[in-house]
Amino acid sequence: MAKIKCNLNINGKNKTVYIHEDKPLIFVIRDELGLIGTKLGCGLGQCGSCAVLIDGEKKNSCNILAKDYQNCKITTIEGLQTDKGLNTIQEAFKHFNAAQCGYCTSGIIISLSSVFLKKNDPTKKEILSCLEGQLCRCGSHASVMKAIDELKAS
Amino acid sequence: MNSFHSGPSIKLYGKLRNWFNFDKNNVLQVYSGKIDIGQHISSTLALISSKITGINYDQVEIIKLDTDISPNEGKTASSLSVPDSGSAIKAASFSLRKAFMKYSLKTLNVNFEDIVFDNGIIKDIKSNKSISYWDYAKTNEFNELTIPEKFDEKEIREFNYKNDHKVEIKTIHDIVTGKYEYVHDMIFPKMLHARIIRPPNYFSKFIKFTNNIDQKINKLDIKIIVKNSFLAILSTDEYLVVKYLDIIKQNIVWEEVKKLSEDTVYNSLKNNDKESLLVKSGGEAFYENIPSLKEFKDKKYTTLTSEYKKGYLMHGPIGPSAACAIFTDKKFTIYSHSQALYDLKLSCSEYFKIDPNNITLKFRPGSGCYGHNGADDVAFEAAILSKEFPDIHILLKWTREDENCWEPYGSASLNKLTGVINDKGKIVYWSNEAFSDTYMTRPSNTELHNFISYNFINNNFTKHKSTPKTKAHMGIHRNLDPLYDFGENRLVKNLVHDLPLRTSALRTLGAFSNVIALECFLNELAKTKNIDPFEIRINHLRDERAINVIKNLKDHMIIDIQIGGAYRGIGFSRYKNSAAYCAVGVELKVHDDLKIKLINAWISVDAGEVAYEDGIKAQVEGGFIQAASWSLYEEVKFDTKEIISKDWDTYKIIEFDNIPNIKTSVIDQKGFPYLGVGEVVAGPAGAAISNAIAEALGQTVKTMPFTKEIITKELLEN
Repeated sequence: MAKIKCNLNINGKNKTVYIHEDKPLIFVIRDELGLIGTKLGCGLGQCGSCAVLIDGEKKNSCNILAKDYQNCKITTIEGLQTDKGLNTIQEAFKHFNAAQCGYCTSGIIISLSSVFLKKNDPTKKEILSCLEGQLCRCGSHASVMKAIDELKAS
Repeated sequence: MNSFHSGPSIKLYGKLRNWFNFDKNNVLQVYSGKIDIGQHISSTLALISSKITGINYDQVEIIKLDTDISPNEGKTASSLSVPDSGSAIKAASFSLRKAFMKYSLKTLNVNFEDIVFDNGIIKDIKSNKSISYWDYAKTNEFNELTIPEKFDEKEIREFNYKNDHKVEIKTIHDIVTGKYEYVHDMIFPKMLHARIIRPPNYFSKFIKFTNNIDQKINKLDIKIIVKNSFLAILSTDEYLVVKYLDIIKQNIVWEEVKKLSEDTVYNSLKNNDKESLLVKSGGEAFYENIPSLKEFKDKKYTTLTSEYKKGYLMHGPIGPSAACAIFTDKKFTIYSHSQALYDLKLSCSEYFKIDPNNITLKFRPGSGCYGHNGADDVAFEAAILSKEFPDIHILLKWTREDENCWEPYGSASLNKLTGVINDKGKIVYWSNEAFSDTYMTRPSNTELHNFISYNFINNNFTKHKSTPKTKAHMGIHRNLDPLYDFGENRLVKNLVHDLPLRTSALRTLGAFSNVIALECFLNELAKTKNIDPFEIRINHLRDERAINVIKNLKDHMIIDIQIGGAYRGIGFSRYKNSAAYCAVGVELKVHDDLKIKLINAWISVDAGEVAYEDGIKAQVEGGFIQAASWSLYEEVKFDTKEIISKDWDTYKIIEFDNIPNIKTSVIDQKGFPYLGVGEVVAGPAGAAISNAIAEALGQTVKTMPFTKEIITKELLEN
């Protein structure tokens, strides 16, 4: 099976990888680049645990091909942190211990980032809309909602 | 003398060195036999030890369970993590502090008034000499010191405390930055990724590959393992495994040895062979004649009967189960998120006929765990594959479809109730018959058939017949015995055989359906006499703590004005009649399209002494949300050939758009034993939702989940 050259911009850095052309983005992020914060959940684009930002928009990375996103800015959970520290959403999640097992958490933070990085005070409708398809099984929703309330208040 | 009991773990591991390690500078490492499955146990245990030893919380580290070094505290299950490990670590920490203090004063030759004690270091004010725990740990005394099995409660009282400052849980920084390593994320040189090639159902025998697919794939540096009907695919490239798994599945012939099911599960629950046991006060089950239902003919009595039904529920962690294993130098090392690592060790020892000392199980976090899920199966399967490829790590992950179709579910159930209430509103007779499959199929060294793949390896497609468990509040009859005083009880546990799907322990076992049936039927009886739901509960309880929790709930619900068009319901339970007490109130709306919108929830909980209040809140609020999901959305669907609920489109769970505002009140009982809270909320939550829906519709919906389709069907039937 031939491999293709694929140039990706992930977390502000240009990366070149040689991959099978039908390789989904998640396997490139995790296996080729070692960014394990993006989680493999259903592999069907249904649970949101693999969510990443592509040009600022949330997208599940398990059912899209890496080669199709060569001219885009891809951000994973690891890329939200800056030299100044955690981003405001990560800080709010820390403050409220907004996770249980935590497997879904990076996807939820990424998802919220797609809204809060554009707008300081999004509406409840906008927040719930971005959280559609972000599944959590442990029931961390209540603490996540508290973190969101703090974000809105700040 | 009131005593604090160190608990069962200290009886087995009575030395300080069993619980503490001071090898790392300025870090107190604490061993526990319990694992952090998202219930924040590592933070709660660290808080307990920190408070007592005086070492800062940030410097207390709970070591991940490793069967070579950790105490065997049994399973991380049944809401016993804090009662068992918390009590043990409290006792060990207190013994350590006491012994260290005595040793330091003697060595420094000073009195207590002459020292300062700060963050694990004792300093003589005059001489400036100091001794730390880390110094003390090097002594023979530390090495040999035995922890008492009980203490005078007065002596330990100053360390009974409610943590009232914000604590950052041990795992949260790594979780929010994506650094928290799950077993799914492990990586080793030359590691092989693996998936199991699953058949259509439990009763499928492998016949052959078609189109020479196995040979074609082998040329691609992808390996296939075939052991009778146990098949797996492996490669160093995870994506190739995923890709070719689908291709192989389309080129394979299975023989259907038997159909998955022949009838609806509720018909099977009623009609199949069963074993019926009498459950008595105290919650134990006995092989005794089941008395006939009593009749109360006097006009002052009102008799009601009712049936409540619940389908199969799945654990459904967001990340499917996974395990990593290596077989090298005739020894296994297995990384797993199983709740039962020590049992797994013995099971592997039995299967591979290898000394248990040559098998090490190491805990690595998995995605949410709510009982006996796929974790044990996947670890066993990873071990089998690792034996085929010595010296190479095997990382085996289940797929979403594997998890949905092959995990052991929480059993479907049916409760038949009869109750008699007199003209004064007193319930004088109560009959509850529970019909269900087993909740107890965890694998062990004597029950290897409980590993799903063990049967495929042996081409054995006979469903193993379970035997009823009889101990108090086990499985099907958990919380069947009411805490209420209902006069005369008739309680029957029915273990129904030959039900279609694989079942085992899912959070609360039978308590979820038993408590819902109890609490909803109680409301039905109350309605016949126009008695308020709070009043009927309080009137039938003698346990002051139970009454207090219900009153606490009422006080909190009264403060919030009921929203127009919304309806309220309540539920109560003491888990296993011996763990935490919990009362739940729910406010919801039933929309015109019969969709249920949750608006508010109130939770009152008494879990004994509070070690970490936010931890308790996280557990009960998370448990509430999971139970709401079970109640409103969830049921495993299947037909004669296969399970249909293969993914999140075909098995719906709750999402962020239906999370109510939750207010939780934790009642602190200083000096009382820790009572686990992992499971207590589920039954009362489901009951509160059901009772609120009943208020909205004017009738109780008796089949779960409360979907538009089921509600419509029941409304039409009445």
